[in-house]
Parts: sequence; C-alpha cells; structure tokens
Amino acid sequence: MKEELLYLWFNNIDDIGNGTRLRLLREFSSVENIYEASEKILRNHLSDIQVKRLIDSKKSSKYSELEQRLLERNINVLYLEKKDYPLKLCNIYNPPTILYVKGRLNKGINSYNMNIAIVGSRKLSIYGKEITGFFSRELSFAGINIISGMAKGVDSMAHKASLEAGGYTVAVLGSGINVPYPLENTELYEEISKNGAVISEYGLDVSPKPGLFPMRNRIISGLSDGVLVVEAQKKSGSLITADCALEQGKQVYAVPGRLKDKNSEGTNNLIKSGAYLVTHPEDIIWDLKGEDNYKDMCFDAINEVDEFEEEENMVNKNFLAPIEKMVYSCLSLEPKYIDDIIQFTGLGVTKTISVLFSMEEKGIIKQPLKGYYIVTV
Amino acid sequence: MFSKVISSAVLGVDGTVIGVEADVNDGLPSFTMVGYLSSSVKEAGERVRTALKNSGYHMPPKRITINLSPADMRKDGSGFDLPIAVSILLSLGIMPVFDMEKTLVIGELSLNGEVKPVTGILPMVYHCYNQGISRCIVPKNNINEASLVKNMEVIGVCSLEDAMDIIQGIKKPEVLINKKEFEDTEKNIYNSDFSDIKGQEMLKRGMEIAAAGFHNVLMTGAAGAGKSMLAKCLPSIMPTLSFEESIEVTKIYSISGLLGESTSLIRNRPFRSPHHTISNHALCGGGANPKPGEVSLAHNGVLFLDELPEFNKNVLEVMRQPLEDRKITISRVNASYVFPADFMLVAAMNPCPCGNFPDMKKCTCSPSLVRRYQSRISGPLLDRIDINMEVKPIKYEELFNYSSGEDSKSIRKRVEKAADIQKSRYKEEGIQFNSQLDGSLLKKYIFLDYQVETLLENAFKRMNLSARGTYRILKLARTIADLEGKTEIEKTHIEEAIFYRNSGQYSAKEVF
Repeated sequence: MKEELLYLWFNNIDDIGNGTRLRLLREFSSVENIYEASEKILRNHLSDIQVKRLIDSKKSSKYSELEQRLLERNINVLYLEKKDYPLKLCNIYNPPTILYVKGRLNKGINSYNMNIAIVGSRKLSIYGKEITGFFSRELSFAGINIISGMAKGVDSMAHKASLEAGGYTVAVLGSGINVPYPLENTELYEEISKNGAVISEYGLDVSPKPGLFPMRNRIISGLSDGVLVVEAQKKSGSLITADCALEQGKQVYAVPGRLKDKNSEGTNNLIKSGAYLVTHPEDIIWDLKGEDNYKDMCFDAINEVDEFEEEENMVNKNFLAPIEKMVYSCLSLEPKYIDDIIQFTGLGVTKTISVLFSMEEKGIIKQPLKGYYIVTV
Repeated sequence: MFSKVISSAVLGVDGTVIGVEADVNDGLPSFTMVGYLSSSVKEAGERVRTALKNSGYHMPPKRITINLSPADMRKDGSGFDLPIAVSILLSLGIMPVFDMEKTLVIGELSLNGEVKPVTGILPMVYHCYNQGISRCIVPKNNINEASLVKNMEVIGVCSLEDAMDIIQGIKKPEVLINKKEFEDTEKNIYNSDFSDIKGQEMLKRGMEIAAAGFHNVLMTGAAGAGKSMLAKCLPSIMPTLSFEESIEVTKIYSISGLLGESTSLIRNRPFRSPHHTISNHALCGGGANPKPGEVSLAHNGVLFLDELPEFNKNVLEVMRQPLEDRKITISRVNASYVFPADFMLVAAMNPCPCGNFPDMKKCTCSPSLVRRYQSRISGPLLDRIDINMEVKPIKYEELFNYSSGEDSKSIRKRVEKAADIQKSRYKEEGIQFNSQLDGSLLKKYIFLDYQVETLLENAFKRMNLSARGTYRILKLARTIADLEGKTEIEKTHIEEAIFYRNSGQYSAKEVF
C-alpha cells in the first residue's frame, strides 16, 4: 500500500479518535506496524469494536477515492510524522495526527515570522470590531501572521483586516476542511485559502458540531506564539483558547474593557488572573521579541507604522477647523448617536450633519451604523 | 303610465347617473325589477312596497315594471329605494312640481317609510352636478355632505311622505345652497403637536423634510423610542389640503362610509395606521364591487405602517405599484376601477426581534437573526423610501430637562413655503412635490454646479451608492434647498440628503 494512502486510512477509521491514534503511534511506532498488526495483537491495544472497525476498514476502497477527492479540491494533507508538519504543533499535548490544508501553509507558518492568534466574542460590539481591525491590521503590517478560527465576530474581523493589510492569515476550522462555517463566511473562506491557508484536522464533509470547536482551539493556540483576546463575555469559547495557550506555555494578551461591560467581562477576568494587558499592537511585538530585538527585528515595519500614524495625527491636530475639533472631541470608539452630538455641540442638525460628513470624507471618523459615529483608530 | 327619476351610483371613486324608470300597466298584478341588479337592489322591491303601504299609499293590483338604466352596469347599494318609490308614485299619476329630469333622488327606505342615509353621497352629487343636474333630494342626514357641491340645491328629506309632499309642492322645502367660497381658515385640529416631542432633533428635521417634499420615511429603532408618536405628529406639519384635495379625500371617505353625520369636508390630512394583520384587499382595495383600501384612504395623507417586518410579505409588495404610480387600478370582469393612492408612506420597525440592536449590551439576538429580521423588507420597497432614520430612545434626563421644541405651526409655515415653491415650479408638469420627479423631469429641474457634483461623485464612490439611490438623493437635496428657499442645490443640501437617504439596513450587514 502506498504511504500516503496508508496515512489516509489510519486517520479515517470510525470510532478511533485523535487520542487513540496518538497512543497507537506511540505503541506501534509507525503506521505500517499498525496496518500489519494481527487482530490478536490489536486486541491488547483497542476495544473490540475499534478492532472490528480497523479490520473492516482495511478492506474498504474508500481511501483511494478520498485521495482523489482531496486532490480535486486542491487540499494538501500533512501527517504528524512528516517533515512539513508545523513544528509548533508537534510540541503541544495531543497534536492532531492529520492536518488538511487548503492554501499555502508552510510558507507562512514555519517561516521566521511570528504568529499571533486573535480570538474573541462572536457577538462583537462596534468598539470590539474597530479594536480587532486595528490590532490585526497593525500586526500584519509588522509582518506577523494572524491565526484565528473564522467564526463570526472577532475571528472574521481579524482575518478580514489581515487580508486587507496584505498580511498572511490562517483560519483553523472546527468543521470539515471543505465546510465553511458559518455559511456567510464562504467568501472569506475562499479569500483566506487564496492568500493564506485554511486548515482543519477534520476531513471532507464533516459538519460542524459543538464538541469540535474546543478541540480546534488547541490548534489555534498551538500554532501561535501568543494569543490575543479582544472581547470576550464571561463564558466565551475564546477563553478556552486562552486556557490552551497557558497549558502550552504561550503568552496570553488581553484588551481591557470597562467594568460592567458584558463583552469585556471575560478579558478583564483574564487580566485579573495575570494575562498581559495590551493597549497597542506594539505592546505585543515588544513582549514577544524583547526590547532590543524589537528594534532590530521589526525596525522597518514598526517605523512604517509610526510614520503612518504620525501622518494621521497631523491630520487630526493641524488640519481640523475649530468647529471640527469640537465635534471630534466628543467622539470616541464608543458609537455616539447623532442627537447626542447635536446636543453636545449645539450646532443644530444641518450644520452638525455637514461637519460630520466632511470629517467622514477625510476618514477621521466613521459611521459604523446609520446615525452613530465613532473615531477611526 | 311611464315615469323616470334620476338617481346615481358609485363606480370606483366617481358617481354615475342612473335612470330609474317605472311603468304601471294593466294585466296580472306583478312587481318586476330589471337592469342587472345586485341582491341588495333586488331586495329594494320588498322595502319599497312595504314603505309605500306604511306611508299611506295604496299600491294598485297592476303590473308594475321597474328598470334601472344603463342596463349593462351592475347596480349595487341601497340608495335606489327612494327613487324607485318616487317613480312608482309618479307613474300612478302624481304630478311633480319639479323637473324630474333635473332632480337627483337618493335614499334608503326603512319599512315604515323613513329615509336613511347612504354612503357615497358626495361623489354622486358632485358627478350629477357636473352633468347639469341642479337639484338633489337626499336623506336629511346626508345634507352636509351633499351641500359641499357648490351651487347645488340640496333638499333633505326624512321620510317618503316628506319627499312626496315636497315633490308635489304641498310642503315648502328647506333648500340648502352652498354659494360661499371655500374658506381657508385654520381649522385643522390635530391631537399631537411637535412641541410634545422632547429632543430627537435629527428625527424632527427628517420629518420636516419628508413633509415638505412628500418623501417616504422609514424609522428604525427600539420599542418606546417615540416612532409612533413622531408619525402621528406628521400630519400636523404637512401643508394644508387645497379644496380639490379635500374633495378627493372626502369622496373616498364618503364611499367608504367613514364620514360622520356632522362632518362635511375633510380638512385634515388623513392619517391611517392599519394593523399589521391587514390583508391585501384591505390595504389596496377590493371586493366584488371594489371598495377603496387603506392606501386610498390615506390619499393626500400619511399611511403609517408600524412594525413593518410583521406585515405579510405579499401585502407589502402590492404597495410597490401604488407607491410609484400614486394610484391603484383594480380590475374586475365587468369593469376596472382606479382609486387614487397618493400617500406618504411612513414605516416604523424594530432593528431586531428583541428591539435593542445596536446596543450590544442589551441585544440578545445573534447577528444573523438581526440580518434576517431586517431582510424581511424587500429591496425594491426600501428603494422607494427616501428618508431612513435610526431612532434611539431618549435618556431619562432628557425626558424632563429638555425644553420643548418648536410647535407644529411654525414648522408647518416653513413646510408650506417649500411646498408653494415646488407647486409653482412644477405647475406645468402635473405634479406637486419633489418626490414625484422622475427620470426626464429630474434632468429638467435639477442642476448641480461643478463643486457639488464632485462632492456627489466622491460620495457615490465612497458609499457604493446605486444609480437609483443617487436620484433619490438629488430629489431629497432639492427639497432641502426648497426649505431654505435656495434656487441652487448647495453642498450642505447634498450632505444632508446623503445622511438621510443612506440606508441603515445595509450598514447593519457590515457590522459583523
């Protein structure tokens, strides 16, 4: 039997999960040994039903079909013992024995660059959306890869912002490799697999189930050098990712929020229990690379960011008319309703709309929702 | 002997002349009615016979034939009782003092000979007057309505006996003739006033623009934010109805039987707010003998649809054509009826099922649920809405501390000024408001200077506007300029128009 096929067979037997596979590999030391082991020996290692499944599956012809289908869909397969398997994953507890990859993984993940996972609430506030976009964009500019789970909310936003900034981003799915979930992210799925990579430990056509997502989180944190939690409620799935990161000895970064703010309860708790509080993307780069290296290694990227920001600040400070400054001063990242702005400035409806319009055109403020305004980060 | 009396029926919103002919002949006693009658008219026979007897007239045992002409038109309604009774009596030899060819007779009879009011008096009398009929005998309770028609001699009767006495000249009738000019008094009394609304400056301004240019409005916001209240205040700032408009509105209400006894002319802009369980026919009009629906009842006024997504989708879609054509055509086998439906659509909806979006601290809906809820309103319908406003509930402090704003009267003054400008500008086009401008007229009446055009072009690219959306912005900007009394559309007008037109619906999709 061909080696590729052998691995596909081994990783696609019903009732034998990732944990069992890892144990078998440890005990038999190679897949060939498992394939050739007699029923009697197998009985010492597996339950009756698992042995039956294993023996049955040897006769099945579906594996070559599977190989064909993967080939047609341009999906690569990586195995734990192969050389292009991501090194960072080898070092975690319970690494996936198989990884399906759509896109180009090696180039990004095993390169010299650092990986940061950005995770958080699926129910994202406008503030959270802006912050996620800001961090993802700036980190991508600095040449850092963004890893996330392509879920709604923070995950999607992190991927989108990274793609926009021309960065490299990896989505780890909790469903089959060819099953974009949630469905509305299908476009994003295509986009990521073109410019980055979509990976999953689940094969073709596996539909998303609640149990699969916590498992997926260990891969997200495993691939990363640090996990950034942007917005999380008290019992958020992103906290599982943070836990995984801690178990794997990775740094956890959290963006602080206001007290009593439901969407920040999770992140504030993380900070309370020792997570690294970040207020700017530079904080992460600083922490990951150390002060000296920070300057050497990311010199160009960071300088670019600085220049970019200085330019923007100049716009903010010097080229605003007094009336615009007044309107600007009452805005923040928290969406503000137009009537509150009108009341604050006392300018009247028409004038306020006109000022807001011209500032929107300059790109210093945004209207994330009709009638609500925020400053751009 | 043969006799003929003039009566009338309603077709759509207009009256039509019906001749009621009676002939009494020797032969086997019988009572026959012909002329394509609906069952309510056929039953008139029994009512008339009994009413005649109870009014003291003796029906001879002769062969009596009644014909309602034209015979190819289906007759409906109860207004033919009185003319049938009168025509029978005339054919029995009673001599009238009036020229019956020039006298309109309408009325329903009860068994004791009493004359009862009927619906649709105004369109019938109005039409007959235009056909050269100068006198009408109508139920006493309907005289207010009938006397709206200028120079028409209106005689009110309360019983068959009364009517016959007047026709024979035994009794001198009280003749009501409306000769006065239509007085433009400040008669409008609205229950809600804009000064009752605290804060919400942006919304009030939006309403002012909507009223000035007759633009459709959609308000999105949490429950209790004041959407319904704003909508109810809207008629109070709209320009007062002209006489012709009042007549149109009154005619529709007359047909629908919604005019009270004492009300004569409807001077207030109609405000209709049907419940969201309304059916297609109730909204657009219908029935075997079509009656106007809510869109027509809201003619020249406001149709307020609260909880827009809760309406049946079909019901909302049937509104598309009346929104464009400002009338609705209902076709039946025997005829096609056109009802006017020039209304301002004011809709209100919650942003999501729980009503708290975009306040993510309170909103319990998932983003996809929000999107699903908002997508219940179809694109084509949204496209016809010029003003989109997001409503936020006011805070407690504002509720008590906010000084009350302008009252409706002063806002209406500005609105009326803008309406007058539009009216004189479009007097040759047969339209009244900016919102009614379409393709070719738009090019004829709206110019932009270079600077303003650049602004619009930039906005077009930045905000991904559609071509139709841009036209709507131009119309809206024209109204805003008219409110300021400017002849040119300036930069600020376009900016404000973009702000109000730009749909919140689409941006909600972008958030997640």
